Amino acid sequence: MLPFSYAVRNLFRSRSRLLQTVGGSALVVLLVMASVAINTGMTRVLSASGSPHNVIFIGAGSEESVQRSEVPDSSAEIAQASIPGISEKLGVRAVSSEIHYMNHLEFADGSRAQALLRGVTPQALRVYPDLHVIEGTFPKAGEVMVGRLAWRKLGVPAEALKLGVRVKLDGQSLTVSGIFAAPGTVLESEIWGVLGDLRVLSKRETVSCVVVRLDDPAGFPDAELFAKQRLDLELSTLRESDYYFRLTQFFQPLRVMTWITAGLIAAGAVLGGINTLYAAIAPRVKEMAALQAIGYGRGALLASLMQESILACLTGALLASVVAVLLLDGVTVPFSIGAFTLEVGPEVAITGIFTGLLLGVIGTLPPAYRCLSPPLTVALRSA
Amino acid sequence: MNDNMIQCTGVSKSYRRGSTTVTPLEKLDLSVRRGEFLALMGPSGSGKTTLLNLLSGIDSPTEGSLVIAGNELARFSRRELTKWRSQHVGYIFQLYHLVPVLSAFENVELPLLLSPMSKKERHERVKSVLDLVGLGDRIHHTPSELSGGQEQRVAIARALVAAPPLLVADEPTGDLDRESARKILDLLRQLSREHGKTIVMVTHDPRAAEAADRTLHLEKGQLLEAA
Repeated sequence: MLPFSYAVRNLFRSRSRLLQTVGGSALVVLLVMASVAINTGMTRVLSASGSPHNVIFIGAGSEESVQRSEVPDSSAEIAQASIPGISEKLGVRAVSSEIHYMNHLEFADGSRAQALLRGVTPQALRVYPDLHVIEGTFPKAGEVMVGRLAWRKLGVPAEALKLGVRVKLDGQSLTVSGIFAAPGTVLESEIWGVLGDLRVLSKRETVSCVVVRLDDPAGFPDAELFAKQRLDLELSTLRESDYYFRLTQFFQPLRVMTWITAGLIAAGAVLGGINTLYAAIAPRVKEMAALQAIGYGRGALLASLMQESILACLTGALLASVVAVLLLDGVTVPFSIGAFTLEVGPEVAITGIFTGLLLGVIGTLPPAYRCLSPPLTVALRSA
Repeated sequence: MNDNMIQCTGVSKSYRRGSTTVTPLEKLDLSVRRGEFLALMGPSGSGKTTLLNLLSGIDSPTEGSLVIAGNELARFSRRELTKWRSQHVGYIFQLYHLVPVLSAFENVELPLLLSPMSKKERHERVKSVLDLVGLGDRIHHTPSELSGGQEQRVAIARALVAAPPLLVADEPTGDLDRESARKILDLLRQLSREHGKTIVMVTHDPRAAEAADRTLHLEKGQLLEAA
């Protein structure tokens, strides 16, 4: 084997080429890391949003959209009395009638943004036990409480949704009475009001859905049976986790697009990188031939060239990891039904390092082939 | 034991160039004794470098037998030939072909990294060879910090360090001024006479050829003894 110092010193033959290789690799790795962080972040928030304990009763035929669903107002009471195994605390059963309503919210400065509003009763807190009011209080009539990431989803400053601020919905003034957290779920991007207020504002006589929390997810067939027996209510039954899983599938094309975009930019950067490595390696055809004449095999020379480019690409990957931690980690990304936080964790870091390694290997092969494939006699005479 | 280091019998080399077949060497016979210093002369394209490449195991003949240091080269696989070359042949190039990012010491050390040898032994060997070529005080210089003559000395040291019995030199003085060329030729003669190295040197320069024990002219693929 050639000494490792040979590979290291070769890197510094041309500082501009080294910068190009490291920079190109850093760009590709950063893109891949961002794609992984976006995809895992979105999947994580959607899968965490649905609990297998929760069952959604939705209007038959509206399984794809809770907002369009119509469920008779009386469904919650009937379900409460009919389904066994509903979670209960202090005599209050975990059944939540809800109206999901999408409309523009008007802020104090006159700006508007489309928000997802959920009209609920205090029983909703039984259905979503991980949701906590972290500031202020649960809303009363004329009030709303906002998820702690709602401002990010709506694209407004955090101050626009702080406690005591007034916002307008369809001309109706509502006061922010509380801020809630529901870690890692899309609920944190929603705005919750009183069911009665939302019924009036959305001009509905029905609710969008009834969500029931079961003590044991295995009780789902009982809930399903209830819906089938009460044909008059025209209900369809969904596990909440299945509902969000479907949403994950719905966002699949978006995630594919993320990968395609990253892939295209990465392909361009890889070609640029190969070009740079060509420029770095091709002038050394004679030098490689002389080393072969001395007795070094092509395998040893290829290994040395690999060391050289892997070292450069891994330096780029390291640089990209630092940039990712500084610029991506903790960033909240809004999407149509909520927001999620990017996490530069081990999965993202390992993918980044692996990408750097792969770039180093793939980038070396074409120029190395060009450098090492000519017969020795030809290579020794090359210009 | 055969006294010949090199024994070529009926060696031909031909290759395709476009639609024509070129035969730079045709049914060539050559014997070189152990410790002999042979100069090969001839016009451009006469096959001098082709013959040198065959003798050093860089290229293989189209037909004929080539026995170097008792080894029939045709029997070796490509990998075996590479290993054999590292142990038996030291190649000296006209343009030195030193690795520019390595120091004189590291360049000379390269062939020894292919053999199992302790670091201490390796370093002693490199220092002694650099002393032999008169560069003991330049071991940490990189090629760009050396003159052409000094670079060629480093190249000779590199060719010598693994103690190969055969040295092949392709116009080793072709790129040097007269004084540097004389010193290189003196060194080669010393290596032949005092260290028993068999040397085959290709040159265009009749003065360089005078340093050798014997000179052969290669013309139209055939060897002629110099008058």
